[in-house]
Amino acid sequence: MLISLLGIFINGLCAPFVWRLAHRHAGLLLAVVPAASFIWFALQVPEISRGGALFESLAWVPALNITLGLRLDGLALLFALLITGIGTLIVMYSGAYLRDHRQLGRFYAYLLIFMTAMLGLVLADDLIAMFVFWEATSIASYLLISFNHEKAESRRAALQALLITGGGGLALLAGLVLLGIATDTWQFSQLQSEMVQGHALFPAIMVLVLIGCFTKSAQFPFHLWLPNAMNAPTPVSAYLHSATMVKAGIYLLARLNPTLGGGTGWSTVLITLGALTALLGAVLAIRQYDLKRMLAYTTVTVLGQLTMLIGTNTSYGLQAFVLYLVAHSFYKGALFMAVGAIDHATGTRDIRRLSGLFTLMPLTGIAVGLAAFSNAGLPPFFGFIAKEFKYAGLIEMGSIGWTVTVVMILTNALLVAAAGLIFLKTFLGSPGKLSHSPHEVSPLMWIGPLLLAVGGFGLGAGNQWPEIWLVNTAVQAIASEEVDVGLYLWGGITPAVIASALTLGLGTVFYFKADAVRALANRLGSIWTFSGDLLWDKLLKRLFRFAGAVAALFQHGSLRLHMALMTLVVSICVLFGMLMMKTTPFDGHALSEVSLPGVIGCLLALGGAAGAAFMAGRLALVASLGASGLGLALFFVSINAPDVALTQLMVETLTVVFLAMVLRRMPVVPASGGSGAGANIWHAAVAVVFGLAVTLLIMTAVSQPLPGDLADWFLVNSLPSGYGSNVVNVILVDFRAVDTLGEILVVAIAALAASTLLGVGQPPTAKPRGLPEFSSLMLRQGMRPLAAILFLVSLAILWRGHNLPGGGFIGGLVAATGFTLLIVTFGRGIQRGLARIAPPTIIGLGLACAVGAGLFGLAAELSFMTGLWVAPFGVKLGTPLLFDLGVFLTVFGSVMHMLRNLIGRAV
Amino acid sequence: MEWIGAITAGIMAALGVWMMLDRHLMRVVLGIAVLGNAINLGVLTAGRFAGSEAAFTFAGQQVLDSANPLPQALVLTAIVIGFALFVFALSVLKRTHELHGDKDTDRVSQVTERPAPDQDEEEPYPPAEDRKP
Repeated sequence: MLISLLGIFINGLCAPFVWRLAHRHAGLLLAVVPAASFIWFALQVPEISRGGALFESLAWVPALNITLGLRLDGLALLFALLITGIGTLIVMYSGAYLRDHRQLGRFYAYLLIFMTAMLGLVLADDLIAMFVFWEATSIASYLLISFNHEKAESRRAALQALLITGGGGLALLAGLVLLGIATDTWQFSQLQSEMVQGHALFPAIMVLVLIGCFTKSAQFPFHLWLPNAMNAPTPVSAYLHSATMVKAGIYLLARLNPTLGGGTGWSTVLITLGALTALLGAVLAIRQYDLKRMLAYTTVTVLGQLTMLIGTNTSYGLQAFVLYLVAHSFYKGALFMAVGAIDHATGTRDIRRLSGLFTLMPLTGIAVGLAAFSNAGLPPFFGFIAKEFKYAGLIEMGSIGWTVTVVMILTNALLVAAAGLIFLKTFLGSPGKLSHSPHEVSPLMWIGPLLLAVGGFGLGAGNQWPEIWLVNTAVQAIASEEVDVGLYLWGGITPAVIASALTLGLGTVFYFKADAVRALANRLGSIWTFSGDLLWDKLLKRLFRFAGAVAALFQHGSLRLHMALMTLVVSICVLFGMLMMKTTPFDGHALSEVSLPGVIGCLLALGGAAGAAFMAGRLALVASLGASGLGLALFFVSINAPDVALTQLMVETLTVVFLAMVLRRMPVVPASGGSGAGANIWHAAVAVVFGLAVTLLIMTAVSQPLPGDLADWFLVNSLPSGYGSNVVNVILVDFRAVDTLGEILVVAIAALAASTLLGVGQPPTAKPRGLPEFSSLMLRQGMRPLAAILFLVSLAILWRGHNLPGGGFIGGLVAATGFTLLIVTFGRGIQRGLARIAPPTIIGLGLACAVGAGLFGLAAELSFMTGLWVAPFGVKLGTPLLFDLGVFLTVFGSVMHMLRNLIGRAV
Repeated sequence: MEWIGAITAGIMAALGVWMMLDRHLMRVVLGIAVLGNAINLGVLTAGRFAGSEAAFTFAGQQVLDSANPLPQALVLTAIVIGFALFVFALSVLKRTHELHGDKDTDRVSQVTERPAPDQDEEEPYPPAEDRKP
């Protein structure tokens, strides 16, 4: 079972490739796996019909006690045969039907994945696994229905199906979880009826499960999506309607019938809604002119009747359920495929234009005829037996049964009329006027419907065979107690036979008075159309509008409001948190002494920032910002952080270059505070509160003694285990190298993203060209050695960084500064020395070095990024140095990449 | 010294926020840089300015009175990342200017946001039933 599930799934994944390779024959090739599954399942029939069941299990989420348990019993086998059997025919059929569609490969993939999901659903023995497959069918059907996604109508239908079945799925999940809690088991096969029905949660479980099943099986009032799903290509409709999707809900109802059924509540709901759905479907079906749409509504009818039959829980009722299920799968699959063939051959599905096709399309005609007779419930077709048993089952129920029987006679009479319209009207009589002359379709298109239709006939005529092999065990699986199964075509003059005769008679009348019936149905139907589909549209529209209104409250599109609110919330949280801590922020506990350079640095930083904040202009702002950064660098020196100061210095230099290059094309910025007095006060308040929060936070933090001895650990271990004197550098490239790897990755990604934006408008393949910013011979001559020296210096900084101030970051920035000089002198088209390599290559090399340095540790069976050292000729070499080289290259490449795209006038 | 650091960081943060609330996208971008600097300073300050020497340990010397190396390592990378992100912001500014010219921060999103091409506000889809011949 697992193999067949996996096989079909893999088959689905491979489908697009198979299609690309085999094209015309892909349909046949892809049908092999489902066909093999069908044969395997068919071979299990003798075993299962003796009352046995097959188990296969795979631990899936052991922690939650969820297994992927598969169980093959009578009911599952019946469904599995239908799914794989009809599925095989559908795959072959769609190959012919969609022969020229350019996305046929994708279609096969969807279809086969859908088949997998459906098969998994009926085989799963675990509640949660079943639910996962259940949802998978919803998603796969969404893809199938929206296959013609260029059409708005298809998208709408698909979304409707997804929302309705998906929403029902949520209810079902809740119901299944409650069921699991109530019975303390997650296996279908171990559910105890008494435990569930005696439990306080029983009503909730029943309602939730029913909602799930009803949405899936298109019961009133959730039936909307099924007719709209007609927008799918015909093979999909045929499959969805006959053997899958809508039958999933029916399957679950049947599966849970022994557990949840038996009580009056269950029966009442199922019979009432089922009968209502059936009648509604029949009324809506008769008013259609579109063959496909008519079939769709008859499916609604049949689903209603199936639901109703489960609700009866009588021996005849349950037998009728199984019979009807099989009969319907056969004739509905056949009819849909045949209608697709008619559509294909004649270009229309309108019954007013179709007639007399029999002589033109004899084989399709035979298929439709046989299927339609089965649909109408004429003897000796399988549909007839099903109908007989249905009436018998209802009558068994007593007075309520009689009422329902009357409704059913009406419903089935309408079905008889619909069947008549489909076959008699379309195929008999004189040929109608069509735009082009129809012809018989290709073998792949008629073989499917014909097989199914003949099957329906055969099962009815030779009814001993299905009784023994299939129906019996399936009925036992869904009944609470033993049921005596015996099929017959003729059981004497019983009330059921009389009801059948009445149905046929009434149906014939309806057929000949079709126009009158249709007029009547139209009058009723218009009410329904208004309240159904239109209501759905309105509901959805309201929902979207509501969601839009809610989102608009938060997504107002004003950057400033976002900023202000966010800042304010953060500040208030911080301030409130400190208030709760009850520590004084002004506890002068062991503070370091004030140093003059530090104070000067701070003042410079503040002055610069204030200038950038309030002044008007362009270059003034750039200069202020630069001054602010330099002040900060000075401050860093004063607190014994030379590496940080150097980095700050280099970054500040590059920042000014970038700013100057961008701002020269921008208009002058006016002085800040031009948004009106009110806004100014509000913004100033937000800023001040935030500043206050930051200051108080840091003061509170430094008032406490430094917790832990992390700093000391690094200081002590840097030399002995990291072989480096520069503790900051050793932390970066050894102790915390994985962090650094993440950080250079961020730098690389930001650089790639920024470069794309900066270089917009230039063809991606063309070599970067551009005129230099400052074209002067003197400059060119002088700059070349200078840049070379800077580059050598940067390498020296990289090398010595492990022991003295320096390292990959600073080295990379210094090299980038040298490159800046080159590029402003020679233009972006510079193709000398290192500049010949594309910057992204350098970034990639850098990241590769960094990661590669980490892999050495793995190779030595230590953890990732463990530093390894060798000392050939007395020179200490190690993976941290390689890592630092990676940092160097990444930073250098990143800055180079951004500069290249920014600088230089386009030619 | 810690207090001076804290106050400087606070004022710079306030200035940064003030700039980010400005109407001009260019000043917003500069504000990002100022705020980034403020936070870097804050992180360093929170690590205390203990010690009278930089964090270097040479062979044969006793580690006595060094600065805390950890916040320095953190801030060092933060500065470089901050720079990369600043350039990214700058490139967004450049692109916005090229496309819209209008640098009022509250109007950019109005200009750029458009409804999906096939979504008509008034009549999303024709109801399926009404579409019949």
